[in-house]
Amino acid sequence: MSIGVRTGLRSTGSVLRIVFGGLGTGVLALVALLVVLVAGLLALLVVGRRLAPAALATAHGVADRERRRLHRVDPVVLLPADTPPPRSFRAALQDADARRELGWLALHGTLGLVLSGLGVLAVLYVLQDLTFPLWFRLITLPDRTYPWPQVDGWIARDLPSALPAVLWGLVLLAVAAIALPVIARVQRAAARQLLNPPPGADLRLRVTELTASRAAALEAHAAELRRIERVLHDGAQSRLVAVSVLLGVARRAVERGDADAVQHLDRAQAAVEDALLDLRGTIREILPPVLHDRGLAAALEGLVQRCAVPCTLETTAVGRCPASIEATVYYVVAEALANVARHSRATRARVALRREGDELTLVIEDDGVGGAEGTAVTGGSASAEGSGLRGIRQRVAAHDGVVRMSSPAGGPTRIEVELPCGS
Amino acid sequence: MRILIAEDDALLREGLALLLRAESHEVVGAVGTPDEFLAALDATAPDLAVVDVRMPPTWSDEGVRAAAEARRRRPGLAIMVLSASVEPAFATELLASGPAGLGYLLKERVGRVAEFLDALDRIAAGGSVLDPEVVAQLFTRREVALDRLTDGERRVLGLMAEGLGNRAIAARLVVTEAAVHKHVRNIFAKLDLAPTDEVDRRVAAVLEHLRATEGR
Repeated sequence: MSIGVRTGLRSTGSVLRIVFGGLGTGVLALVALLVVLVAGLLALLVVGRRLAPAALATAHGVADRERRRLHRVDPVVLLPADTPPPRSFRAALQDADARRELGWLALHGTLGLVLSGLGVLAVLYVLQDLTFPLWFRLITLPDRTYPWPQVDGWIARDLPSALPAVLWGLVLLAVAAIALPVIARVQRAAARQLLNPPPGADLRLRVTELTASRAAALEAHAAELRRIERVLHDGAQSRLVAVSVLLGVARRAVERGDADAVQHLDRAQAAVEDALLDLRGTIREILPPVLHDRGLAAALEGLVQRCAVPCTLETTAVGRCPASIEATVYYVVAEALANVARHSRATRARVALRREGDELTLVIEDDGVGGAEGTAVTGGSASAEGSGLRGIRQRVAAHDGVVRMSSPAGGPTRIEVELPCGS
Repeated sequence: MRILIAEDDALLREGLALLLRAESHEVVGAVGTPDEFLAALDATAPDLAVVDVRMPPTWSDEGVRAAAEARRRRPGLAIMVLSASVEPAFATELLASGPAGLGYLLKERVGRVAEFLDALDRIAAGGSVLDPEVVAQLFTRREVALDRLTDGERRVLGLMAEGLGNRAIAARLVVTEAAVHKHVRNIFAKLDLAPTDEVDRRVAAVLEHLRATEGR
């Protein structure tokens, strides 16, 4: 029951906010509308063309303000996109989104303003009427005439004669309780219809983004497969061929009765052990068992301890993430620390991992010589980058993540990675 | 024989040198890049070269090109090309320019020392050698073209493509040499190939046929 009351109060609150806020933006819309109309008229005479950008920017600003305020109570109304307003009336009339925005401006600056005004007035009158008995004695109008627009000369001399105002206030309250939500709904509907991008647009953008990130995912996958192939080919396969040769030679030596045979067999065994060592390393690089046994923090701890440069790990409780995200984080740290050990000549390194809501943030810093150029781009192009860093960007981009890197020559290097975690 | 090794994988290079020396061959050089190979070729004048298909800098087809260049410089040189994986395209390309004295084997065949040495002897004598794995792959891709052959003929064809002469084929299949000869004649007839007894020409003919019928 209390929840019902609470939501009831909340929705009343939001209705009031919408209506009252609508008055404010209604006034702004009216002003902006006038500005646009004037500028538009002047634009017909070439003189006014220069005013167009400012006028249109004003209109866009008011619309954005409305978007922001409505978004707070109605998330379906989207926050302003970062698109700049059109710079000329011709452009504005050609762009469907801009047209709709101007349409909203005209609507809200006139009808919206009126409706909001009526709504606000209604609320004020309700308050006035309901509390009339409390302050009627303060009225200094002649004969304490109740300032009632509907009925002339209702005189309230004492409490009983002041009470009907309360009744009227209750009637008004009932009317307002019906009318105000309607006004609020009208404003929200106007915003959703005219200020939101058309339903297809967001999806189209999203499809483009997803296509690009899927391509990046496929590329990252292919790159990983090529890497594995190369590592296996150069490492394990080559060693096994050598073992085969050594065993063949040992066999011939045995057939000849040569004492060398034992030596060859020893070498063959050493080669097998090398191959196994290599394979273990390769497997660890692909998907370390420790990741699904003990989680990301423990796996990173292992990487940090193995790093040739003294390295510290700071993690807060990050919980579990999808396996591919965890593998990507592991891979990024492994690659970054490998670079630190190989190129940076650093004395200290630091790895930090935290989770904020649905996002993982990973930071890897070292105090080395820097110079591993890169700019803050989400998997975009950056020249003069090693294949390791490229791999990091690709894998992160494939998961809709962001890589930010700063590595000025001589200065410290810092890699920051954000990855979405959780559905 | 005086043998020159060109192999970028250090382990295998050492293994090959060890193997050949243990069999009383003279290893006149063991290098890792095509440039070093050609330089050593001019300097040491070997009888036979063992060359890896993939070498620095691009690890694509340096070996094949180095082999072609080596043949140009020393026409009588026998070359054994080694490859880590089956690449029929390289095989056909290599042997297109005349397979006499050329061989193409998978690296792991080297472990079968007796067969490897035999292959070296064969190419030194002017024959040609194709890895059975490569031949099998060439064949599987052209099942349709070869379905006119009987099973026996297909086996003989495979061994022919590997570079064995009639006598060796007969020994391998445990039949008479005459039977092999008959099979060979039928094969050439069914595949519309000009009959010939020279091993290298036969290998070339088969490969040419296989290449021509690719994709059918």
